[in-house]
Amino acid sequence: MLAVNDLHKSFGDVHALRGCSLSVERGAILGFLGPNGAGKTTAMRIIFRLLRPDSGMVTWDGDEIEPDDLLRFGYMPEQRGLYPKMRARDQLGYFGRLHGMSKSEAAASAVSWLERFGLGDRQNDPVEALSHGNQQRVQLAAALVHDPELLVLDEPFSGLDPIAAGTMSDILREQAAAGKAVVFSSHQLDLVEDLCEQVAIINFGEVVVDGRVDELKDASPIRHLELEIDGDPHALIADLEGVQGTLTQNGRLTVIIDAATDIRGFISKAQDAGKLRHFAYTSPSLSDLFREAVR
Amino acid sequence: MTGLAALWQVAMREVRERFRSRAYLITSGLTVLIVLALIVLPQILGSDTEEMTVGSVGAGNDEIIATALDLGNANDEPGDPPSLAVDVTEYDSRDEAIAALEAGEVDVVIVDAAELILETASGFSGSSVADGLQRAAGAVQIQAVVEEQGQQAADIIELLTSDPLEVTTLAEGDPAESEGRTIIAYFGLLLLYMAVLLYGTWILTGVTEEKSNRVVEVLLSSVRPWQILGGKILGIGTLAILQLLLTIAVAVGALRATAAFDLPPVEAGIIANLLVWFVIGFLLFAVLFGAAGSLASRTEDANTIAMPMSLTAVAGFFVSISALNDPDGTVAVVSSFIPLTAPFVVPVRAALEALPAWQYAFAVVISLASLVLLTGVAGRIYAGGVLRFGSRVGWREAWRSADE
Repeated sequence: MLAVNDLHKSFGDVHALRGCSLSVERGAILGFLGPNGAGKTTAMRIIFRLLRPDSGMVTWDGDEIEPDDLLRFGYMPEQRGLYPKMRARDQLGYFGRLHGMSKSEAAASAVSWLERFGLGDRQNDPVEALSHGNQQRVQLAAALVHDPELLVLDEPFSGLDPIAAGTMSDILREQAAAGKAVVFSSHQLDLVEDLCEQVAIINFGEVVVDGRVDELKDASPIRHLELEIDGDPHALIADLEGVQGTLTQNGRLTVIIDAATDIRGFISKAQDAGKLRHFAYTSPSLSDLFREAVR
Repeated sequence: MTGLAALWQVAMREVRERFRSRAYLITSGLTVLIVLALIVLPQILGSDTEEMTVGSVGAGNDEIIATALDLGNANDEPGDPPSLAVDVTEYDSRDEAIAALEAGEVDVVIVDAAELILETASGFSGSSVADGLQRAAGAVQIQAVVEEQGQQAADIIELLTSDPLEVTTLAEGDPAESEGRTIIAYFGLLLLYMAVLLYGTWILTGVTEEKSNRVVEVLLSSVRPWQILGGKILGIGTLAILQLLLTIAVAVGALRATAAFDLPPVEAGIIANLLVWFVIGFLLFAVLFGAAGSLASRTEDANTIAMPMSLTAVAGFFVSISALNDPDGTVAVVSSFIPLTAPFVVPVRAALEALPAWQYAFAVVISLASLVLLTGVAGRIYAGGVLRFGSRVGWREAWRSADE
């Protein structure tokens, strides 16, 4: 298990982290969310000992992370980094060897990942000759080539088309299913909601929300009530208790309402008011939780 | 994986990729071609006969010119082409002859067996010709005196070209060997200078490129800064030494094949001394270039940051050239104790045997101590600078960042 405990980090006057804690078990995927500049990359760099925290600690399976542990971790930094003139296969083999693989292991793994990504026939091309999307694939392969126990990916979905994003999601699921702990940051919250059972939301250097997505949703103090009806829905909700706000979009009214409000009688009232085209009562989406958390 | 294994992987990548990039093969090929050209071309193009063109004005010059020719060819073996050939052009007036000299038609003008005119006093062309004519003029005068006493002209020539005095120097060993030492020292100096500027720049730009294309962040997620910097220096240093050995092998081979001149006899100790100082000198500059490279995010910035180091190498080179001429001078002595100039100066002075043992020992201690110190400082600056992307990082900022 990766555990990040109460990290604090300042750069001069800038407090990049002020209490960052999160954890992820083997076999789980954690979505690490937060606005730009909230401290995600700083926290990831601290995990890989690229930065030293002012206080706090990062542990792997209960022990503080030592340089040798890093050989069992895979990292994909936000700013992609490959040698442009080096062949894709050699490059992956090199990263494999730097993580302690033997020459033959590294070479075999490099080729198998390139084939997996459909780059089997491009393995002898220099990376600069590959398209942007294919370079991204090689970058991901560089984080995976040594079969790490922990994967930390900074914005792995940025710049990917929907098909490539789908492949990326599949690989992350597969890695988790194989018993790896996976942490990734992203701004694509619908994707995260699809992929992760757990999220940690960081704002101004502090993790403000942390837990299982379904539990976070249940625990939310609000619900969304969506109505599409012939006639005036506003009249209908006039005597509803705990309404916090409304939003009309494409003829559909969304009511933000206290989770405590009992709406059992409301459905039949709505049906009586006119033809009911759409009715939904849901927990807020991850995007809503996110907006709430970083407001 | 142990620390050295990762460093080795980094070094091997440098060697493999630079072999593949062709830049290394091209530089090595060019160096070999230049060395070959310097040795072989004079053999093919140059003839053994020195041609001299003399402008003659007035009377009495013929005898001097003929004597100069006899003097120049006195030691020729029968059957060989003559060492000296003279082409004489007569001019009616001194002015006409000077015009021809200015036009480059003649090397020297002799007037009335009494005056020699050269284009410049210190120029290379013409001065050896003038020396020959001076000697000949002297010979003609002596001849005039001794002829009265019945001596033959041929005897005078023989007298003047008789065996030269044997030269001995106060330094131990024979003069041929110390000439050899000078040549070896000069070549060693030149090769170190080239290696520092060429391969030092490779280290500099290599570090900057890894930073600018961000691959360094991936590397540092599993490897420590000293392993990357150390591996890079080891890899590029290996390439530098390979090229050095190749150049030496080609030069020796070409000299043997063409018999351009006899290889000077040298002790293995001098070569070993050169190699040791080559390694010390290269490493001193390499760690500094590596640190400088970590401060820049663009190659252009890197060259600016490394300018003081490049200039120091240039200064070291020129100080050593002057040390070749004046190995006991103040400049030579002082620069033996300055870490970045010592690798240039000390081997030259040692080869010329102008370096007291205590100075040698002191220079070694200073250089090794500063190598250890600079490696520590440069490693820390590298570690602090290489992850600070964006604009150029200051030396002090990088030093402080190493704690972050």
